[in-house]
Amino acid sequence: MANNDQRPSTERKYPELYEKLIPVALVVIIVAIVVLFFVAIAVALGLFSGK
Amino acid sequence: MNILSTLLPFVSSVVSFVFAFLVYKRYLARRGPHLLLWGIGMTMYGIGGFCEAYYGMFGWNPLVFRLWYLFGAMLVAAWLGQGTVYLLAKRKWANILMIVLGLASVYGAIRVFGAELDPAMMGSSLHTGSELSGRAITSGGVRILTPFFNLYGTVTLVGGAAYSIWIFWRKRILLHRVIGNIFIAVGALLPAFGGTFSRFGIGGALYISELLGAILLFIGFIRSTTPMASAPVEAPVEAPIKGPKK
Repeated sequence: MANNDQRPSTERKYPELYEKLIPVALVVIIVAIVVLFFVAIAVALGLFSGK
Repeated sequence: MNILSTLLPFVSSVVSFVFAFLVYKRYLARRGPHLLLWGIGMTMYGIGGFCEAYYGMFGWNPLVFRLWYLFGAMLVAAWLGQGTVYLLAKRKWANILMIVLGLASVYGAIRVFGAELDPAMMGSSLHTGSELSGRAITSGGVRILTPFFNLYGTVTLVGGAAYSIWIFWRKRILLHRVIGNIFIAVGALLPAFGGTFSRFGIGGALYISELLGAILLFIGFIRSTTPMASAPVEAPVEAPIKGPKK
């Protein structure tokens, strides 16, 4: 009887470097969006001069 | 004339127009409203850069200032972001948002071209990047519109790129699009942060960030639309060898 656990997995993987870098980049991008959101609110409220 | 405040925006403008040309070309070949909107957005980016280069060389005149403010400061991010909305959202919602953006843009254009400008700020060529702002507009209710356009543009363009990264990364597919979207997100964020630094008086920050932004957006677009030579994501990996289930 074939042992299912020993068959190659079809799970996909990116190269090691990208596996590490992509989540970091994603977090940085999301944090940047949040920061800009607050900056935009501050500009709209006139807390510092906007464009 | 300040070399940096002329040369940097001029190069940004050239990069943006070349980028816009390639996007329009792709639109003619493949159609898709997102390509048309990105082409329009990059054209606006190019107009903004050209106006800044003009400002660096000759100082403002009312027409160039209004063109810069409308396209370079107010509308560019929102129109680029609207392209992403068409790519990711349901067509019905994208159409509704397009109508709202179109009407808001017409309103913004009317307000910018109808605004009174401070004559003392027109014609001066003694400036640094930090002085590039909409303070020349003396009419009320115009500059307040800009953060709303930019917020919409940033959330849709950068948020859309981040969403795409998440979707592809979770499934471990289309690595070239993940990388391309990272470039697009960073490229879109840079001018926004450059504008913020500029407000805090860091001279030239806006010009440098706009140039880098245009280049990264360009690279991101090329990377996203060009599959990688090797396809590492397709390779299956060996599962850890476990003992038989008991």
